[in-house]
Formats: sequence, structure tokens, C-alpha cells
Amino acid sequence: MSTSPQPPAYDIYDDRTESGWRIDGYPRTFTRTPDSPRVARALTLTELTGPFGLHRRLRVDTADLSRVRPDGQRAQGQLIVVRGRVCDEDGAPIAGALVEMWQANASGRYAHEYDEKSLAPLDPNFIASGRFVADAEGRFSFTTVKPGAYPVPDSGHWWRPPHIHFSVFGPSWMARLVTQMFFPSDPLNPADRILASIPDPAARDRAVARSVPTTEGRDDALVFEHDFVLRGHRRTPEL
Amino acid sequence: MSTRVPTANFTIGPFFPTHFVDTGCNDLTRVGERAARGPHVLLAGRVLEQAGAATANTIVEIWQPDANGLFAHPLDPRGKDADPNFLGWGRAATDRDGWYRFRTIMPGRRVYNDGRARLPHINLMLIASGLMRRLTTTILFADDPNAADDPVLDGIADATARRRLFARREPALDDGDAKAYRFDVILRGADETPFFAD
Repeated sequence: MSTSPQPPAYDIYDDRTESGWRIDGYPRTFTRTPDSPRVARALTLTELTGPFGLHRRLRVDTADLSRVRPDGQRAQGQLIVVRGRVCDEDGAPIAGALVEMWQANASGRYAHEYDEKSLAPLDPNFIASGRFVADAEGRFSFTTVKPGAYPVPDSGHWWRPPHIHFSVFGPSWMARLVTQMFFPSDPLNPADRILASIPDPAARDRAVARSVPTTEGRDDALVFEHDFVLRGHRRTPEL
Repeated sequence: MSTRVPTANFTIGPFFPTHFVDTGCNDLTRVGERAARGPHVLLAGRVLEQAGAATANTIVEIWQPDANGLFAHPLDPRGKDADPNFLGWGRAATDRDGWYRFRTIMPGRRVYNDGRARLPHINLMLIASGLMRRLTTTILFADDPNAADDPVLDGIADATARRRLFARREPALDDGDAKAYRFDVILRGADETPFFAD
């Protein structure tokens, strides 16, 4: 007999709380999105499991992106701390979750060969990406600078608001999350075609970080809090 | 416990860091200096979008059982017997011609408690600029796809679409002791790869 724990339940993605598939002014969302409906299947062990111990394969970084060396010059821009928790739909922490992040620098430029058209300058003192492991309570924290906004080329005046990209590895193949975090009260948020593609307003709000009051934060940096809720729950479905 | 809604997925955009596809990430046959058990295979293919155009910098991630069909994971009742030198996970990025490549172990067949077997298979997931959510599919290995049985085939009525889930033996790409298998991913168009709703 099996003594293994029971797997969590995974619901099909809810279109109301997920981003839309096709975005005006983003041609690749049309040329890459499949035409056929996606196929339903029963899950087996292979989808309910997933890689453990990825830090054995992937390099884990220091949690300060704002300078290349500990004694080095700070990157340009507003110093911020982003901290939060990785949990499942029951609110249970995902200890050891691997969190990858990447972002533009303070002037809205990515340190990537595909961003060569940008007029914004690179910043030699900024690291721009990181990889962290959540602690036993699912918590993570890193220091960076607030990313700048940037225009999307040939899109008809669409600007991406400041945002940070995240890729999170949870306990299973089903729980994998790839997302973006936005900043509170940014005037570009409502017009961002990617954020606005989520139909449910509350789900859009949950993609925006919370600003921690300066009285509760740090002396040297603005603090933002943001949780990642990975798929998977043990609750009984409502009948 | 509280009930929380899963965080929404968004595209990785065009600027997924090149160095996140770490050196050796697409070689699953070893962890450090320790070699995994089982026969090596080369898994390669192209990721194509509308009109058969190549997609560069599409991130391809795979997850698979070891040579005996086992997972080093707490949910696998036989997980303690899984190969400790096999992580089962890999990542590759497509090049400018749309090619990805993995060197891995031929996954084992496995019969589950309900008596039904999963074919040797590799789970594949794609994230890319323009894909607002990840796409998942599975790569099946069988000598005769027309005679093969696997639970994921149940939901795909069309025989031609079912065959698209099978890797094709491609001896021209053999790499030393690794037999090569080809699996192209067609994101959009007449030969579209079946993707799963989950």
C-alpha cells in the first residue's frame, strides 16, 4: 500500500482571473497562440510531481541587485525592497520554492540583446535579474531599484508600466507560475494592455504589489510586498 | 485555512535573461559529476509559429521520470527508489532557427495503481514572448504510435493529432551513444501540436 501523501487538487485555469491570450499591438500573441482548443486530460503522477532540489542545477544569487559588488557603486534609481510569500490556494507556505526574477533598469532598459532598439541607457552597476530560494515559511526578499516604464515599439503609444517578471517553481509541474508584478498607483497601470487583459478587477489588483508604509519599512529603501499564490488546494469543492 | 486565488500568469516577454538557461541545463544525464542511470537519448526539435516561422528564444522546459519510470518526489510511493543522480528537469532556449536540444535518459514505462500504464513520456512546457500563459504538452515514445495506449490520448479524437504527440526516431541526429528523437512543436497552423487545458 502507498504511504505517500495525497496530492493537492488542481482546477483548470479560470479565464476570469488569468490574462487574455491575444493583445492588441502585440503581434506575437496572435501568431503564437494556438487556434485549437486545449485538450482536457486526467492528471497522473507525472503532472502531480515536479523537480525537487533545482538549486543543485541552477545557480542561486545574492539578494541585492542594486550593485555588482558588495562595496560597489549603487545602480541608478530608487532603491527598493521586494518581499513576499509563496503559498498555495490554502495559504500554506511553499518552503524551498525557487523564484527567478528579471526587470528593466531605472530608465526602462533591459540588459538583453533583444532590447538594442531602446534609447534608454544601460547601467553597469545594475544586475537586473536574480534567483532565490524561499525559506521554510515560503518567504523571499531582495533589494533592487524600481524599474522604469518603457514604450512598446510600433504599438501605437502603448507604454509598459514599471513591472518585475517572475518565474516560480512550486511543488509540482502543475504549480509552475510565470507572472509579472506591478507597482501600486502607477498611472500607466490601467492602460497597460497586458495587465488589463485580466477580466476580473480583483485579480488585476492582486497583480499589483502593496506599498509598505515608510514608518514600517526600512530607512534606506521603499518596501513593496507581493505574494505568489501557486495552484493547488486541498479544500472540498463547493457543490 | 484561507482560500486564495492563484496568481495570474503573464508572458515572459522578449527579455528572458539568456543566462537563466544555465550551462548544462539541457543535459539531464548528470548532476555535477554524477551520471544518471539508463540509456541516453538526444531530444531535439523546432518550435514554429504561424506560417511555419521559427521562434527564437522560446524557453522549453521538460520534466520526466527516470529510466525506471520513477520520480524523486514525495508523492511517488516508489520515489525512494528513484535515481538520485537524475533531476528529471531541464531547460533549453530555441536558437534563431527555432531549434531546441536536450540530452537526457530514455524515460521508463510505468504501471500505476489503477493498472493503466503511462507510455515512456517527457512533459514539455513552453514559455515565450507572446504566449500569455505557459503551454503544456507531452512527448510520447512508442514503436508503433497507431497501436499505443496512453491516458492522455483519450481526449484527442483525431488520429493525426494523436500522432503529433509521438517523438520520431531520427538517426541522422544521433550523437555518439545517444539515439536521437525529433519532436517539433507547432504553436499555430494546420499541424498544430495538441496542448493541454490544465
